[in-house]
Order: sequence, then C-alpha cells, then structure tokens
Amino acid sequence: MASERFSPFRPAGRVRTFRRSGRDMSDTQFALAVAVPVLIFLILVVIYPLGYAVWMSFQRIVLFGGYHTVFIGLKNFADALDDGEFWWSAWVTVRFTTETVALTMLIGLGLALLLNRPMRGGGLVRTLVFLPWCLPLFAAGLMFAHVARGQTGLGTSIAYALGIPVSVDLMTSALVIEVLAVGAAWTMAPLVAFFLLANLETIPKRLYDLAALDQLSGLETFKFVTLPPLRYTLFVFTSIVTVLTMKLFDFIFVMTGGGPGQSTATLTYLLYKVSFRNLNLGYGAALSLYLLFLIIGATLLLYLAWGRRESRR
Amino acid sequence: MKRRHFWKMAAGAGLALAGRPSQVQAANEPDLRATSGKPVYFRGWQYKTDIVQSNVNRYNATMGGHVDYGTITGDYPAIMERILISGGQLDVLYGNPSQAARYFDGGWIMPADQLPNFSEIKADFLPSLWNASTYKGRLLGLSYFATTRGTIHVNLKAYQEAGMTDANFPKSWDELYDQVFALHGKGIATPILPHWFNDFYGISWAFLFEVLNRGGNVADDETHKPALTTDKNGPAYKTLSAWKRLWNDKIVPAEVLTYDEAAFIGAYGSGRYMFSPQQLYDLETFNSKGQSQIAGYDTLLPVQGQSWGLINHALYLMTTRKRPDAVTDDVKKFTSWYGFKDESGKVAVAQRWMQSSMLFSAYKSIMNSSEIEARIKQAVARPEDYKVVLDIYSATPFPKGAWLVTWSEEYNSWLKDSLSNFLVKDGDITAMINASNAKIKELNEKYGI
Repeated sequence: MASERFSPFRPAGRVRTFRRSGRDMSDTQFALAVAVPVLIFLILVVIYPLGYAVWMSFQRIVLFGGYHTVFIGLKNFADALDDGEFWWSAWVTVRFTTETVALTMLIGLGLALLLNRPMRGGGLVRTLVFLPWCLPLFAAGLMFAHVARGQTGLGTSIAYALGIPVSVDLMTSALVIEVLAVGAAWTMAPLVAFFLLANLETIPKRLYDLAALDQLSGLETFKFVTLPPLRYTLFVFTSIVTVLTMKLFDFIFVMTGGGPGQSTATLTYLLYKVSFRNLNLGYGAALSLYLLFLIIGATLLLYLAWGRRESRR
Repeated sequence: MKRRHFWKMAAGAGLALAGRPSQVQAANEPDLRATSGKPVYFRGWQYKTDIVQSNVNRYNATMGGHVDYGTITGDYPAIMERILISGGQLDVLYGNPSQAARYFDGGWIMPADQLPNFSEIKADFLPSLWNASTYKGRLLGLSYFATTRGTIHVNLKAYQEAGMTDANFPKSWDELYDQVFALHGKGIATPILPHWFNDFYGISWAFLFEVLNRGGNVADDETHKPALTTDKNGPAYKTLSAWKRLWNDKIVPAEVLTYDEAAFIGAYGSGRYMFSPQQLYDLETFNSKGQSQIAGYDTLLPVQGQSWGLINHALYLMTTRKRPDAVTDDVKKFTSWYGFKDESGKVAVAQRWMQSSMLFSAYKSIMNSSEIEARIKQAVARPEDYKVVLDIYSATPFPKGAWLVTWSEEYNSWLKDSLSNFLVKDGDITAMINASNAKIKELNEKYGI
C-alpha cells in the first residue's frame, strides 16, 4: 500500500494510512495516537478525582491525631438522608436554581433582543453589557451585599431620596434567595445574551420582511420568526446555567455566608461547611455525590422534557 | 591632611559603620539574626497588613531574614487547619487561643517555651493573660494583641438626645435590655446592634461573653463538661430570652446575621444605633472623623459590678512542619523578634501596635508603660473614659472551659449556625440550651475528654 503524508486538505475517505517516524500508521493507530493523550488527561482531571470522591464517601476520614480512614459502607449516604440540614439545603438549591435560571434566561433574551437592534455606540453598549460576566464572583458578591443591605443599600437610598426615612433591608430570610438569584442572574445573563445575539444575527432579514408583508404583530413575529431558531440555544443555555447555578459557591459565600441563619445554605455551602470547616471529608464526599446526582437529574429532566424535542426539529 | 591619611580614616569609619548592627545588639539579648538563608513563611488574617509588612521588612533588613509574609482570605481557622494538616508552607501564624489549643493537640504547633528567652517572656506576661495563653502547662505562643471584645459602646449623641445621661448607664445585661426595650417603646427604631455578625467570632462569641458576664459558663473551666442550665433565671436562658425578643420585635435588622466584621463596625459607626458590643480598641475608629458618623461621641458602659465582653487575644504560633533544623532556628528567632523583643531589647512590634491601633498587649512592659495613658486618651471621647477603659480591660473574663480545649473550633462553628437558626426559626430556648450541652458532651466523648 502506498503510504501518503497526512494532509488536512485531502478529501475525506482517501486518507488510509499515515507515515510517522518512517513507519506507517493504521487508522486505529492514528485514532489511538490522537485519543490516548485526551483520555489520559480526562482520567487525571475527571475520573481520578471522581473515583477518589466515591472512595471517600464510603469512609470515615480522621485527620486529627494522625490521618486514618475506616470503611463504613453506605453510612454517609444514609446519614445524609436522615439529616434535616441536607434536605433544607437541597430545597434551597432547587429554589435558588429555578429562580436564577428563569431570571438569567429572561434577562439574557431581553438583552440579546435589545442589542440586536441597530443603535449608535452599539460596540460600547455591548462591551458594557458584557462586563458583569467578566467580574469575579467574589467582587460581585461583595457588591450585591452592599446593594441589598439596609445599611448601605439601594433600597434605603431610594427611600431616603423619596423623603421616606426607612432602612430597606432585603437580606431577610423571606427575600434573600430572590436577592441572591438576581445577583447570580446579573453575572450570568450577559453570556447567554451574547450567544443568543450571535444566533439572532443568523436569522435572514427577509423572514422579517415576509412577516411584515403578512402583517404579523410584534409578538407574532417574535413567536414565529425570532424564537424558533433560538430554541435549541435556549435549551443548551438553560442546561448550562442550571449546572452553573447548582455549583455556585463563592458568590453565596461572600454575599450572605449562607445566612441569615441557614436561609441561603445551598448544597454547595453545606458541602463547604461539612468538608472544609468541620473536616468531615467522608460525609462531605457523600454530599458532593448527591449534588452530582441532582445536577445530572436536573439536566436529564431538561433534556427529556425539552431538549429531545428540540434536537428532533 | 595627607591623602593617605584621609583614605585610612574613611576606611576606618566604613568598617565601624559596617560593624554597627552587632553593636546595636543589646548585650543581654539573644542573637536573633537569621542564618539558614531559607524563607520563613509567616501568615495571618487581614488586619493592617501594611504595618505587618513593614515590620517584616525591618526584620529582613536588620536581621538578614527571608520572612515571606502573606494573608489568608476566608474562613481563617478552617483554612489554617487544612494547611497545618497538609504540612504546607507555614512556619509562623496568627491564632486565637481556641485555635492554638486545637493545633497544639494536633501536634501542629510547638510551644513558645522552647524559645531561648522564655523565662524573660514569662516574667513579662500579665498573669491573667498568661492563664489565657497557656494550655496543659505550655505557653502556646507569643502575644500579638489582647483586648476586650463585647464591651458595650454607647453613642452618646443619640443617648443624650433620648434624654439620658451617664447616670442612666445600665450596670448589667438585664438593665441594658430593659433600657433597650423601653427606648424602642418610645419610638427609637434601633437602640442596639447586637454582636450577631456572621464571622467565626460573631454571634457565637456574643453568646459566650454574655453568659460569662452574667456569671455563667458554657463549659466547666477544668473538666470542660457542659455547664449551661435551663433555669429560667440562669445566664443562658436570660440571654436567649432577650435575644429572642430583640429578633421577634424586629429591633435588630435581619441583615446583621449576614454581616462581616467590617459591615458590623460600619453599621454602628453610621450612628443609627445607641448601644453595641464591639472591640474595645475600636473606640479609636468610632471617635475618628472620616471613619465614623459619631466621632467624639463614642463612649463605653463602665464596669459597675458586672464585667462586659471577653478577653480577645491572639498569639504568634510556630508550626512543627518538617523543615531543616536551621530553618526551625530561624522560625524561633523571627518569632522571638516579632512577638517579643527586637535586637535592641525593645518590645517594638507590640509597642507599635499599641501606638498605631491601640491594640493592647499581654506584656507588662507595654501595659505599664507611661505612654499608654496618653495613647488611650487620644482615642476616647472624654478624658474620664481612660479609667473606664482600664477598668473594663482588667475585669474581662476568659472562657477557658470552651476555648482552651481541643474541640473549641468545632463547637464554635456549631454554635454560630445553631444560634442563627435559633433566631431565624424562632427556636425553643430550652431546646437550644440542651442542644449546646449535648454538643459539648458529644465532643468530649469524641476526643476522650
């Protein structure tokens, strides 16, 4: 078989073998050469830590007075199911995630539609809109803590400006999750907006001309012309934002510290407390796996309820 | 003068100058010059880092040290414990006695009685702070600062506007709460800002000092057995009862439970509150224009039979991580220089803290110095407050039973969350006290105490 040097410009199907160091490579060898480094990388950064977390979740790990571990089977998982704090944190996580995802997608879509209109200084506006995504979550947390507190916040400033001398405290147990969700959406919505904007710009202008000819209203144009090409992107970003929100920690840690009380103690916050403050690493690992199940479950549910339908279109 | 004579004299003067550091070294002081040439890792929490860095720079310049200074952001005790467990690059660190006792039991720090000038250090320690800094007969570290946390600051301007004078100052926690509820009843929205903030030394320490001030104790000083009672006239019950009323009557904004210390200080400094348990040394902050809205009006409730707050002190601790002996020698030399006397025999770093920030010290040489009166008088709103400051400081108790024990940090973390939940979820007082006793019992069993 005549050997050929690999060329990316050669038509597909014609490349059968590859020369490397004077030897021919079969397709399988070439595939392995490309895939093995990636697999090794994945094993190092994903599979090993995940496997280690699974191993830890079956252990009682003692760090004080010399490191040692004791195999305790499924006890950590069973303890979590008996732990009121776990169920509370799971509920807080679900509530916080639902609100954040809804807000992020709505704000992201709204921003994308606004930015899609021709405007003067559009480049500058786009840069400004994108800035919240660039801000470290630590800084965003500090900023929102100041904005939401009655002592330093926006609500109090507005109240005083209106001549009402009251302190508007939004960091109460009744409202704090919503405040947190607004803050989280503020940091994530620009990314969603920019991907949707890219998607919007691929919609042919003639479709809008045809909609105008058919005398569709603004809402009908949005529903029948704008929305259909965005649906898959919306599904993908709903999934991404769901995962990001469930994993969010630093923003919550800085803004509320899980409080007041345990009002904003999401699963990530509980995990931090159990693993890094109380050094109960086995139990913390079990909690992290429950969080992983929750994330996989939520994204799977999204796929079954929405994504599967979109991918068939 | 001939040219040759001039050069000889210049060379002689140069040699004399070059030899100067060794002459500055006080005759009786140990040689604290670093010899290993290796870095010594010094870490602490973030407080006036510019002063710490300049102190470290002075050590490095004058003693040939290679001290690497850095700060820890976040949950300090937990992060430090992780670094200590992993044997990370950490040689000298800040620590409260509660952390230090745990680190000592973990075998992660070496006691300060291994320092060459230990007998001199011991002789200079104030007896009350010696007791609060020693554990199992060993000195845990050298004094960074010692102050009172939870002393009741009074916004005199608001107090006087409410028609009150010094004669009305409450003498106890019961009287304080009676006055707070009465003032609230008269239309004052926020008469008190309790010490309920969300740092590890916030709400949990508030409970400890209030129980101590009322004559109780969370855990026995010697046996560490749980010591709270559910008696309705007992210290814990009365404390939680008052807290519950403050919360349920919405006298305190819920956001306090999310504050860090900076927000907590800022809130009191805004002038919205009449009373607040704060650090003693923050008198200076609250009486400084540009840092406070009540500058010139911040005073303290005096000791009139009952103490206020608890001793809050911090130590410089030395780790036991694996390193060459020469580096360990440098660690001891740096700790001695930084935490006690420098090469000239002065307790220079502690003196600087006292002068710059009114941080008191555990050393008699600082606290008995002639400069301290002048320094305190710079910070107070009224000259007579100088005596109030000293009275409070000398009467302050220390929660030995809950702090000088292996489980102190675990209990503190549990207490912080439990007290916040108790308020937010309108918990039962007796159940909260019983839960505290049960937690201490569980921890004693865990560590075989």
